[in-house]
Amino acid sequence: MLLSLKDVKVHYGRVEALKGVSLEAEEGAIVGLLGANGAGKSTVLRAISGLKALTTGEIWFRGERIDGASPQSIVSKGIALVPEGRKLFPFMTVRENLRLGAYLRKDRSQINKDLKEIMEHFPILEERKGQQAGRLSGGEQQMLSIGRALMSKPTLLLMDEPSLGLSPLMVTEIANIIVDINKGGVSIVLVEQNARLALSLAHKGYVLETGNVVLEGDAQELIDNEHVKKAYLGG
Amino acid sequence: MDATLFFQTLVNGLQLGVVFVLIALGLTLVFSIMHIINFAHGEFYMLGGYALFYFFAQFGVNYFVAIVISMLLVGLIAVLIERGVFRPLRDFPLRALVASLALVMLLQGAGLLGFGPEDRGVPAVVTGTLALGGTIFAKERLMVMGIAGLLVVLLYLFLHRMKLGWAMRAVAQEKEAAALQGISVNRTSAIAFGLGCALAAGAGALAAPMFYIHPFMGSMPVMKAFVVIILGGLGSIPGAVAGGLILGLVESFGTTFAGGVVSSMLSFLILILVLIIRPTGLFGHE
Ligand SMILES: Nc1ncnc2c1ncn2[C@@H]1O[C@H](COP(=O)(O)OP(=O)(O)O)[C@@H](O)[C@H]1O
Ligand SMILES: [Mg+2]
Repeated sequence: MLLSLKDVKVHYGRVEALKGVSLEAEEGAIVGLLGANGAGKSTVLRAISGLKALTTGEIWFRGERIDGASPQSIVSKGIALVPEGRKLFPFMTVRENLRLGAYLRKDRSQINKDLKEIMEHFPILEERKGQQAGRLSGGEQQMLSIGRALMSKPTLLLMDEPSLGLSPLMVTEIANIIVDINKGGVSIVLVEQNARLALSLAHKGYVLETGNVVLEGDAQELIDNEHVKKAYLGG
Repeated sequence: MDATLFFQTLVNGLQLGVVFVLIALGLTLVFSIMHIINFAHGEFYMLGGYALFYFFAQFGVNYFVAIVISMLLVGLIAVLIERGVFRPLRDFPLRALVASLALVMLLQGAGLLGFGPEDRGVPAVVTGTLALGGTIFAKERLMVMGIAGLLVVLLYLFLHRMKLGWAMRAVAQEKEAAALQGISVNRTSAIAFGLGCALAAGAGALAAPMFYIHPFMGSMPVMKAFVVIILGGLGSIPGAVAGGLILGLVESFGTTFAGGVVSSMLSFLILILVLIIRPTGLFGHE
């Protein structure tokens, strides 16, 4: 198994945000993580990335235990996060943002090649490469945030609500990008409130409710599930 | 006003201004990374002055080497203070602010005990004047201007060309995202604090031959540096440069025309006006 969480509990002060979450992501798969606002989806990704310490539980990645490691060491192991709200460096240019994604890499010539490749993949970033990231539109910012994460050459990409606040057209475009990235060999954990989108892309899904996994299964199973239909797919 | 007086006042203002710029750059760097206004910034300026006094005036080390030693030494002390005081308070900006006030008293007290209460003088490094088109300039002031200007340029190059400088800008703009790219926020904050305080020490070392050294010499410059960074925009490097030069000129012309007290009042009047009319300063963003 590429990634597994075992009985992970996380607290913010006294509030228990994750109450014993276990989940797994297989190599090469897209795993969808669904849930309402406040269910704990971002906390799961923050725990995996090392931004938030666990109270108890274990996180394993490629046979190695990674809970307790620093965010730096987790990036270097091949896990990248596209954070909720994009979190770009607003006063740096598009190019500088991308370049910072490769902060830990030493292979300079390969970095430049990857930079070119990402610009080819996202022509709008090429067009805007000299502009400050804070001045991009929402969709462009999302592409930049994804591009920046890809610059670390991750094995596993964690995405936190990439469709949030985007126009329907842009959502379709981001969906295509996610599929492309996955076809390129990167495994993905996709967090979404937009359950329809997540289940249409994912191979497998988990449903999170107030810090607990209440349902898991193949994407199709979840789409057909009565509870999911009612609570997340709008009837 | 005749041309000679004008040019002399102008150069004095610029020279004063670049020293303000140096102090303010350190303060703004620390603010942008740690989100605290370090009230003890002036005490690092004081320590820089004393370091120069000992190494240059007492131990006879070459002046330029003594400046570098002052900056390194004070930078190192600052890194230790970041570890011991500011890092544990990282998530509590208000507590960190109060701690920096406490640090003012501690460092001034330590200065009093360690260096003594008397004023210390540092001999002039270069003497003589330079006549340019009928106006006479003290060589010392020109040299101070040159060194301070060089430090500003080096800082700019560091922030934009070196990997560590990139890391600092990234941490300043979006801390968590910086960590996600593999930047150590702890290490970067410590180095930024050390660098900011080293710049204050550099300013203290540059000012030492022109003023007396004493344990309380940092109080006024740090107030001036506040004016500078609020005038220029909190956290803005170009803002600190512009604000410092403007303040230097205001003080120099103010002193020439209206005397020292009025000129100092003028600076703080500007501070209040900026806060009311344009709180983001000249170059600031929200
Ligand atoms: N920084 C924080 N401090 C305190 N509580 C938090 C913090 N972040 C999240 N929480 C709480 O943890 C729970 C899970 O939040 P989150 O993981 O952001 O949910 P989701 O991403 O599913 O919307 C919520 O109840 C939220 O209020
Ligand atoms: Mg969330």
